[in-house]
Amino acid sequence: MRVLVIEDERTLAAQLAQALTEASYAVDVAHNGVDALHAGETGEFDAAILDLGLPRLDGITVLKRWRAGGRNMPVLILTARDNWHEKVAGIDAGADDYLTKPFHMEELLARVRALIRRAGGHARAELACGPVVLDTRSGRVTVAGRGIALTSHEYRVLDYLMHHRNEIVSRSALVEHIYAQDFDRDSNTVEVFIARLRKKLPANLIETVRGLGYRLACEE
Amino acid sequence: MSLPDRLRESLRVRLLAGTLLWILATIAVAGWGLGVLIRDHVERQFRAELRIHLDQLTASLVIGRDGAPELSGPLSDPRLARPYSGLYWQVDRAAAGAAPSAAGVLRSRSLWDQVLQVPHDEQRDAQLQEHRVPGPDGTWLRTLERVVYPAERPGQGMRLIVAADERAMAEPVRRFRATLWVALGLLAIGLAAAAVLQVVVGLAPLARLQRELAAVREGRSQLMSGSFPAEVRPLVDEFNAVLAQNSEIVARARTLAGNLAHALKTPLSVLANAARAGGEGDLARLVRDQVESARRQVDYHLKRARSAAATRIPGARAAVLPVVEGLVRAMARIHADRRLELAVRPVEDGLAFRGEEQDLQEMVGNLLDNACKWARRRVELEAKRADGRLIVAIDDDGRGIAHDRRRDIVLRGARADERVEGSGLGLAIVDELARLYGGEVRLEDSPLGGVRALLTLPAAA
Repeated sequence: MRVLVIEDERTLAAQLAQALTEASYAVDVAHNGVDALHAGETGEFDAAILDLGLPRLDGITVLKRWRAGGRNMPVLILTARDNWHEKVAGIDAGADDYLTKPFHMEELLARVRALIRRAGGHARAELACGPVVLDTRSGRVTVAGRGIALTSHEYRVLDYLMHHRNEIVSRSALVEHIYAQDFDRDSNTVEVFIARLRKKLPANLIETVRGLGYRLACEE
Repeated sequence: MSLPDRLRESLRVRLLAGTLLWILATIAVAGWGLGVLIRDHVERQFRAELRIHLDQLTASLVIGRDGAPELSGPLSDPRLARPYSGLYWQVDRAAAGAAPSAAGVLRSRSLWDQVLQVPHDEQRDAQLQEHRVPGPDGTWLRTLERVVYPAERPGQGMRLIVAADERAMAEPVRRFRATLWVALGLLAIGLAAAAVLQVVVGLAPLARLQRELAAVREGRSQLMSGSFPAEVRPLVDEFNAVLAQNSEIVARARTLAGNLAHALKTPLSVLANAARAGGEGDLARLVRDQVESARRQVDYHLKRARSAAATRIPGARAAVLPVVEGLVRAMARIHADRRLELAVRPVEDGLAFRGEEQDLQEMVGNLLDNACKWARRRVELEAKRADGRLIVAIDDDGRGIAHDRRRDIVLRGARADERVEGSGLGLAIVDELARLYGGEVRLEDSPLGGVRALLTLPAAA
């Protein structure tokens, strides 16, 4: 899962990026409104954390342009302005949640998880596919109740596939969602992660759809 | 209210009283003056007539062969021949410088059997004397007399008297006065009506000013509008300027509070996150505690600053429905995970709060947010008008708050439960804002089983 962090205060941006990376997200950071607008319009993100008081272009305008341009990723507004007037304005501009500073990092992570889950149409925090269960809160994966160890990138690939169960996910979409923008991307590595996951998970769970990508086949 | 009080308090009463008093005084003086003039005029005419009769009598008087006075012919006025007609003459024989030796030696026929008793004066030849004497039938007569000494009988004076009934003079004066007062009365009524009309028309802009002010105060309009005469215009312009400045000051205070919040809270976030990452050392714990304390202080004082800025601006008005709808949209997103039923009862058309929209948003937003945090499944909101007040009731089906804790929660911003995210200031701020507007917030038992927050505020007309 890839998250865009927009925060002009660099220390806070770094803290957010670190906490999100530790929670197995790929993180891109923008420090002003113009960069944020561009990143959101060109990149594939599963969620964005948006500060409102941004240099060059304010957060509400960025959000409105994204929505007008059909960018639908869930957006969490993170701001110091905590009156209801501004909360309503933020939500009406297309935000999905609103968190005021100062905040608890755990609270922020929980909200981002919930946003991504809801965007995928999943009501529960635990995603299941056959015997495989992924707990989005703890980041634990179990097969038939037994925990398995995954690397950060393996987790991201499985997380994305679990959020899009029974859908065909293209290799490029996987690349978009597991790597940050400035990462040296190589779509061949995706195949490596898939191969490793197949070894750790029950056989035939991850199907290859020739010419299109991968599909996590779950029994509903 | 006594008249002096009314005079002090009402321009209209003042103007009307002054004008009417002046009209009455003018009319009274004119009536009195004209009355005096006409009486003088009639009296002079009366005297002139008497003089003509006296002259005629003097000219007609001759001394007969027996030495008795007689008339050379009848006098011209027929009244002198008609008994008690009101016009008389009489000739007395007078000793020189002494009382008349014989009164009424010769009399007009109109005197019939009466003799005029005219007091004697020290008099010289041909000097005219006037008297007022009783006449026939209790009338009063004015007399004009002259003493002559005929050449035939020097030393033997004759007093010639003509007399006329005073009523002949009073009657035309009375008639004239009656007409005069009727005319003056009509004039006074006309002038008074004109004065009333002038005051009403002249003060009409003030009445409109009053209506416009009331509209602003009741929140029906933002500024005073309409065209006013040049005398009132500066007042209206000044007032509008003050209104505009008020809202500007409030807006600026809000922006400043917002900027301050931003400036303080971002570094606090950085500190808090750094301390959390710093593990369980004493320093990390100290920083965490202090940041938490600072956060509460900043929240508290910023919210106070914001509500202090919310002075009641006359003319402020906020429609309830859009505010509620916006908040419900926001709650549905913010509390999406809780999958609550958020029911809003139909809000009456045109229901409005007499105050700033942001303040209404803040009050209802905090209450609704609390209800969403505590509710199990359902939150209900009802807004209605009752006795000129706007009542907003927000119900939840949570586990409620014990009666003895409610006051604390409202007054001191205590948190009902430390496990639920929030500054715990929400209700205290709602309470403060509501009081500022002359309203209140109360916590009651909800029919849904949880808490009912009842917000009472002034409604806009």
